[in-house]
Order: sequence, then C-alpha cells, then structure tokens
Amino acid sequence: MNNYFSNHFLNSINFYQTKVLAIILFLLPFSTILFSQTMNIDENYFSPKNRLAFGNFLFIQEDYLRAIEEYKNYLMYIDNDTVRFKYAESFYRIGKYNEAADNFKSIFYGSLLSDEAKLAFYKASFFNGSYNSFRDICKMEGYQSEKYAKDINRLFLISHLMDESILPDTNHFLKAFPDSTKNKVRELYMMKKFPSKKNPTTAMLLSMFIPGAGKIYTGEISDGITALLTTGVLAYLAANNFKHEHNFRGWLFAGLAVFSYAGTVYGSYASAQIYNAGVRLNFDNEVKLYFEKRNYLLPKINFLKTND
Amino acid sequence: MIKKIVLFTLFLFNVQVNAQNQISIQYEYAHNLMKTRQYFDAITEFKRTLFFDIDKQYSYSANYSIGECYKAGAMLDNAIQYFSIAQYNARTDDEKISAQLEIIKTNILRRTTERAHQILNEIEKISSINKDSVNYWRGWAFIFNDEWKEAANSFAKINPNHELKKLAEQVDMDKVSVTFAKVISYILPGSGQIYSGSILPGLISLGWNLLSGYWTVSAFNESRVFDGSVLLGLIWLRFYRGNIQNAGDFAVQKNNEISNKALRYLQHEYKGNRP
Repeated sequence: MNNYFSNHFLNSINFYQTKVLAIILFLLPFSTILFSQTMNIDENYFSPKNRLAFGNFLFIQEDYLRAIEEYKNYLMYIDNDTVRFKYAESFYRIGKYNEAADNFKSIFYGSLLSDEAKLAFYKASFFNGSYNSFRDICKMEGYQSEKYAKDINRLFLISHLMDESILPDTNHFLKAFPDSTKNKVRELYMMKKFPSKKNPTTAMLLSMFIPGAGKIYTGEISDGITALLTTGVLAYLAANNFKHEHNFRGWLFAGLAVFSYAGTVYGSYASAQIYNAGVRLNFDNEVKLYFEKRNYLLPKINFLKTND
Repeated sequence: MIKKIVLFTLFLFNVQVNAQNQISIQYEYAHNLMKTRQYFDAITEFKRTLFFDIDKQYSYSANYSIGECYKAGAMLDNAIQYFSIAQYNARTDDEKISAQLEIIKTNILRRTTERAHQILNEIEKISSINKDSVNYWRGWAFIFNDEWKEAANSFAKINPNHELKKLAEQVDMDKVSVTFAKVISYILPGSGQIYSGSILPGLISLGWNLLSGYWTVSAFNESRVFDGSVLLGLIWLRFYRGNIQNAGDFAVQKNNEISNKALRYLQHEYKGNRP
C-alpha cells in the first residue's frame, strides 16, 4: 500500500515537474526582455534612449553630421531642450548657420536654456555672412536676452568692423569692450575709420607726368624705377634708330615705348586699387584673427561637453 | 538543484546569445549598406555597431570597414585613421598585416609615398608576410612618386615578366631627359624643345634667337655700343634664357604626359590589384 502511494506520489511530482519545465522552456525566449528590463539593457539600438546615447557619442567625436540624424530621430519621440540645443549646435558647427539659427529659435520660450539659445542664435546669425541682416535682427524685440545682452551688443559692434557700414561713435563703441582688449580694439577701430588708402587717379596722373611715379606712390618702388628705365630706354632707342635712319627699328622701339608708357599709366591705376584691396584684406584678416582667437569675447557654454 | 543550475545557465546563455545576435545583425546591416555603396550610412551604422559592441568583438572589422568606406569616398585622411584603429585592435597577425596594407595603399593614393615606404620597410621584417605583396605595393608607391625605373625593379623581384614591370620599364624608356633638353638648348637654341617633341615652339625659339642675335651683332658692327648692349641685355639674352627654361618645361610636360597616360591605363584598364 505504502509502495503504491509512494509511486503515485512520485509520478505526480514528475508530471508536475515536466509541466513546469515545459512552461519555463516556453517562457525562455521572453526571459531576454524580462532580463533586459530588470538589468536596464535596451537591445533596440534604434530606441530613442539609445539614439540619444549614440548621438552624444558622435557629438563628442565631432561627427556632427551624423549626430544631427540621431538627435533628429530622438526628438521625433521625446522633446528635450538640451537635445534641441545640441541639435542646433551641430548645425552651427558644420557651418549650416541658417538651420542652426532656426533651431535655436525653437528653444527661445519656456526653456531653462532660453538665454543660451538666444546667444547661440545671434552667434549663428552673425556668422551667416550678412552683417546687415544680423544688425537688423539685433534691433528686433522679443529676441533679446537679459543675461547675455552685453555679449550680444559687443557682437553687434564687432559686425561694424567686418563690412562697409558706418561705424558707431568711438566712445560708445569702446565702452562695450573689457579693459584688457580696449587698446587693440581702439587700434582696429581707427584703422577702419581712417584707412591708409591710395587714390588711383592720383597714381595714374603721377605716372602720366613721370612714368613709374604712380607706382612709387603706391609703394611699388622697384616696379616704378623699372618702368621709368624701360620707357626711357625704349624711347631713347627709338630716337637713336630714327637718327641713324633705321626706320623699321625706330618704329618698333617707338611702338614698344608707347606700349610701355601706356602700361605704366594703367599699371599705376591698378596698383593703387590692388593696394587698397590689400589694405582691406589685411584689415579683415587682422580683425578676424583677433576676435576668433578670443571667441568673439563670448562666454563658453559648458554643458555641451557632457553626455547629458 | 542541478535542474535549477541548468535552467539558470540556459537562461543566461539565451540572454547572451540574443545580445550577440543583435550586434551581429547590426554589423550585417552596416555591411550590406557598404556593399550597396551607401558609404555615409554604412559608416554611421558601423559606428553604431562599435558603440553598442560591449564585448568589442567588432573592434577590428567595423573599424576596418569604416576605413574602407572613407577610402571609397576619397576621404583618405579619415580612412588612414580608421585603418590604424583597426590595426591596433587586430587579434591575429593576418588582421594586423591586412590593416597595414590598407594603410600603405591609402598612403599611396594620398601620395604620401614616403610613409608608404616606411611602413613597407617595417612589415617586410615580419616573417609571415608575403614578400611579393611587399614588393608589389612598393612598386606602386614608386609609380605614384613618378619613379618608374625603381618601380620596374620592384615588380621584377616578383616576376621578371611581370606586366607592371614591363609597363614601368616602357614608361621609363619613353621619358625624356630634362637635363639633356636644357644642355642641347644651351648649344643650339630650340633644339631642346624639338628633342621633347615640340617642333614648332623649337623653331620659333630658334628664329627669335637668330633675329635678336642679328640685331645685336649688327649694332656692335656699326659701333652703336649702347644700342648693342641694350639689345643684348633686354632682347637677345632674354630669348636665350627663355629658350633654356622653355626646353626644361617642355621636357617636364612631355614626361607628365607619358606618366599620366600610363596612370590612366592603370586606373581604367589594369585588371590586377590597385591601391
């Protein structure tokens, strides 16, 4: 009797265990999901969370073009102003200033990053190339940031050094800059206000009276002396050949002398224009180098470096 | 108890296998993009593979493939950067050599052949390396540096009848000597240009020199010393010096044409391995 009961009991246990085993084996494939959830592992590499993580990785690697794609996909599911900022900043870093400005604008209101976004917006507008438009934007109400008002005003003033616009009053201009930069900024301001340009008409007239004098006026001394000598020698050769009745050579050298004279007169005019273009180019380079080295005196936004 | 252990092991194994499947699917996806020449997207997906590949099982192959994608897109600096990372992550000598060969090939394409030679000299010391392969890419490095004779010597080490050896020898033979072109132009103005195959410019140069020489000599003969000196300095010597300079330039131009023709053949018609 005991044996019967014990066998029956064991059989029922085996039956029970087999059932449990079958259920466990059936549930095993789902264990990954359960395990993933409990261990916080998301195996979908394209989930918003993973897209953000990967996007941040790309952003730090300075692969902004790819980071943009990841952030864009993330923002389709979750709205986050930090990510929006990074998305816009990525456009800015690859030189797509229009897109950057538009995206910074989307964080202007109702965000803790509103002031930073406004500053970045002005920065993107500044680098967009049209300083006139930038100045117009600076005058618009509703975009102003109290926190960075001084920085944006400084950028507004710097823009006057970058194009042909009329410079603001000296005191008003210099007041906006910190003491450490004031001397250099004053120097740049004066260079812009009183550029050392040469008059092309003066250069041309000088060369008409004395061949090469116009070139000497524009600072091309050796060219001026060479032009004087060449024109002089050719004229002498023409005269000398005519004197010795070598008419063919006389006309040849006379033609060359006239060609050289005309070339010197025109060359002096062009030389003055080239000189002026050089002055402008050097000034532009100096302004850009000076302010670029100092990040246009703008504050750095630190949170961009983190993985947040 | 044993059953519990077995079940738990199965459970963990299942999780691990599934994770591995995910990463291998991702890698395959990236690889397919590369195969269909969607290089930008392929790079993104390879980078994603690397980012999520916690076990670092694709550290070599994904970086290597990124290098290949960049190379295909002619972004050679980036390609070298990723081949170098692949080399660093290589698990076997073969993988390491493979990455190094890609670095060499990319350096050849980038025309930083000095660096290509440097790496070739380094890997030549590895016993398992195929010496023919070293000589082959060394030959290519010489070709891209316009050193056809040295290239022919390198290919000859693989096979005296190697197709590229014959081509390099032919190019070397067809090229003209820049020094010789200049020297003969010293003696007879215009002859350097004619030697380089530019007959008309050579004859024009000779004509200008004869005319200006005649004017100068006749001025001195008529005792017009100043006239003669000016003609000599401003006209004749200018034509004479110009002729020598011109002869050198024509020779260089001719050599460039010969080299470019050979390079075009290698680019479009050569069936063997190319950088």
